[in-house]
Amino acid sequence: MITKQLIDQIEGEASVYFDMKNEKVNFSTIAFPHFRGIENILKGKNALDALVITPRVCGICGHAHLMSSVRAIEDAYKNAGYEVHLSKKAKKIREFTLVMEIIQNHLKWVYMVLIPELSKLRNSNEENYTLKGAYGARLATKAISLLGGQWPHSSYMVPGGVTSDPTYIEILQAQSILKDLIQFFEKESLGVNLDEFLTYKTPKEISVGEADVSKIEEHLIELGMQEKGLAYDRFIMLGDHLFINPIKMKQTRPFSVDIKHVSTVESYSPNEKTYARNAMYKDDYYEVGSLSRMMSLQIPLIKNIHRRYKDSAYSRVIARIYELAHLMKHANELLSTISISENSCNKPISIEKVTASGIGIVEAPRGPLIHKVDIENGIINKYEIITPTQWNIGSSTKDKLTPVQKTMFGHTKAEALFIFRTFDVCSVCTTH
Amino acid sequence: MHLNPETKLRIIWIQGVTCNANIHSFLNLPSLPSLLDNLDMVYHPSLTSLHTLEEITLLETSCDVLIFEGAYDPLLKRNDVLVKNILKHYSLNAKYVIALGSCASFGGIFKASAPERNSGLIFNEKEEFGPLLDSKAKVINLSGCPIHPEWLSYTLNMIINKREVPLDNLYRPLELYSNLAHHGCTRNEYFEWKIDTKGFGKKEGCMFYEQGCRGPMTHASCNKILWNEVSSKTRVGTPCFGCTEPDFPRSNLYSTKTNMSIPQDVPLGVPKRTYLTMTGMAKTFSIKRLEGKLIDYETTD
Amino acid sequence: MARVTKEERKSIIVLSALKLFSQKGFYMTTIPDIAKYVGMSVGSFYNYFTSKDLLAKELVIFISEYLGKRIREINEEKISTEEKISKIVSMYFTMAEEKPEMIEYFLRVYLSNREIFGKECKGMICVSSFVTEMMIFFDEGVECGELHNQDFFSAFGLFMGYLGGMVFLHGEEILPGSLDEYKKDISENIFNALKSRN
Repeated sequence: MITKQLIDQIEGEASVYFDMKNEKVNFSTIAFPHFRGIENILKGKNALDALVITPRVCGICGHAHLMSSVRAIEDAYKNAGYEVHLSKKAKKIREFTLVMEIIQNHLKWVYMVLIPELSKLRNSNEENYTLKGAYGARLATKAISLLGGQWPHSSYMVPGGVTSDPTYIEILQAQSILKDLIQFFEKESLGVNLDEFLTYKTPKEISVGEADVSKIEEHLIELGMQEKGLAYDRFIMLGDHLFINPIKMKQTRPFSVDIKHVSTVESYSPNEKTYARNAMYKDDYYEVGSLSRMMSLQIPLIKNIHRRYKDSAYSRVIARIYELAHLMKHANELLSTISISENSCNKPISIEKVTASGIGIVEAPRGPLIHKVDIENGIINKYEIITPTQWNIGSSTKDKLTPVQKTMFGHTKAEALFIFRTFDVCSVCTTH
Repeated sequence: MHLNPETKLRIIWIQGVTCNANIHSFLNLPSLPSLLDNLDMVYHPSLTSLHTLEEITLLETSCDVLIFEGAYDPLLKRNDVLVKNILKHYSLNAKYVIALGSCASFGGIFKASAPERNSGLIFNEKEEFGPLLDSKAKVINLSGCPIHPEWLSYTLNMIINKREVPLDNLYRPLELYSNLAHHGCTRNEYFEWKIDTKGFGKKEGCMFYEQGCRGPMTHASCNKILWNEVSSKTRVGTPCFGCTEPDFPRSNLYSTKTNMSIPQDVPLGVPKRTYLTMTGMAKTFSIKRLEGKLIDYETTD
Repeated sequence: MARVTKEERKSIIVLSALKLFSQKGFYMTTIPDIAKYVGMSVGSFYNYFTSKDLLAKELVIFISEYLGKRIREINEEKISTEEKISKIVSMYFTMAEEKPEMIEYFLRVYLSNREIFGKECKGMICVSSFVTEMMIFFDEGVECGELHNQDFFSAFGLFMGYLGGMVFLHGEEILPGSLDEYKKDISENIFNALKSRN
């Protein structure tokens, strides 16, 4: 018997169709019901208009779309023979705002999704922590807007760099806000100093104390999540940044990657029409996001956790929390090394002169975000977007399960729904 | 200020065709905790609420203020229920319906998802049209892509305090939308003396003449109530895209449409002849101070 | 005899000055010459214009406003851009025939003696009424799709340079026919050069 479960609060909705056997999930398919056709909307428009329209794919990761879009356009410039060179300052400003967006995303996920879901699964009545997530996110986005103008939906990245030309006033204000954010995170979430947390090597160290993260760790073990929610133990990262490089991993073995092997296939959803497509690399499914990224960086704590618990739901959650700390530190480093006197934007030739294709890839909060554009005399002929959730939350047939389908198999429905959310799902991005 | 439970405003927040940015913008409100204290969140897509989406689509309850985010698509369903019916049911007993964002106000970006049937709640771009046209007296349009959290906070607090919200002819609160995005822009002096910025990435220069800035034609308080408490697009050198107006999104957003070098659109309410005469005058004079950089890091090191 | 107003008196001075400049030349005509012609004392004259340079500037503004007013009337007619061009050319050439002292002043004094006008008439401020109307003409022509969108000065230079050149040749008595005979061809040439290229 197939039962339908509506999942909301994932930046939109999705429906999971469960095929149960002895109260355990035997098979599941996922349908994403809403479609807005942004790739189509972009056809015939001036390529630069994509910088305003693509952030509207998503309200929580619009900034990642902006960066992916500008990279795609800059790649087209390069392929047309007019390579654009960014100053170090522009690269750092772009990366800073991207990283802060990841931070606000993860904070919201921890406090508005993870903690309530843990509480639900444990049948306990925990205090409402939603506003903690909103508070932390507000600080992070305030720092973004000093350089990006506003959050959500800024369009301050343009071919050649960024539109903003900050003084040390903005840099110092951003540093001060980041400091406040770190202090908040240390006090409420970690229970220890950020630097100390980043030196942890074992899960035991995390479980000490009464801070939110310690409680999360404790509850995950209580629910046995360190043995549940395993996928293929295969990871992929495609965005190229100062904090991460493109790479794929099978367990702990790294391999190089080439974007030309990325493809999408139709989703399998017999019970309801879905507008999502599954993303694959060389016809295989890979996990993307925080766990993938932290694995590729050879973080001792993550390696240790992975050795014991592989790519379980526990590993996925802890990796995302760890990434928060890791990125806060990285953001601080970026700010302190920005050179004000460099050019913000190296003006390229007019977009009307460009006839070429381009690909832009960025590590968005949930994983790699790919934008592909075909430009003719400055006008968009074709635009394609592949989002991170398409990698994690594909829906396929029994012979080749997607990461999420594999993780839900063999668990109770309640557990499966929790495990589903450990991927941090974004419905609007998936179908765009 | 704590209100009695009986007097708390009952809110239902539903969505049409959206990207959710209005929710995330709202979460940035500094006074969010105290505002939420005065509201009964009957349903919200992300915040803790009294009911779930499944319960709310049973259409069995009511609210005082219905907030609708996203473009209206008569064929859209949420939890298999037509949003058309959800909207109809809850707007009936609501005292106010807030069209949150440009999509809900005028169609916005997602009108283009299905241009033949998508629209705002009472406007289809600038034409009066939409599912709530018959009850437009209770509709407040908070246009913007997304809205600024203080705009929603202002509107809800006015309602909580039982004050009438004066509206303009596009049903937007006058107190929020009487200013132009141009008011308070840090580049105003460059606008006055017609010093255009060539390209992007500089503190100096006005973006109206070449970079497509719609500031002087856009009703918004972005340079008065700053974004995220500290900033705005034009302050960081990004042109205003006119997102609070019914014609958003326009085309060729980063360049100014000119006819023989004459801007097609001039500041609101200013006759073209007047504008051209003033511009001609200003362009004649070159003000040395305004031609150089504000801060020359090279020479001051 | 009715009392003449100050404004009317000013007008008389302006028109008389233009006439004298055209007859005797700008440098050869003195303030006393003009005062005498108008029938006022030099002292009274200085009540209206404190210097010859200021008078020179005032004349440019006067001609610019005169042209601007007529072009505005044409701009506001509900006719095609092609017809507007025809009417502007006609108006300009008629003015050159009937009021030669005005166009003459513009071409031979204003444009040719920048050292007099440099300070008081910087850039295009003194001709702003005329230039603004031409801007409106071009703006509306492109907006309704009849003119090709291009840089303002490219279009303006073509239109006005052409007209000015023809009037100059006419003034030098080089043209075999009257200006009237050239109106049709010149209007067509201008329209063909500026019209939309779709």
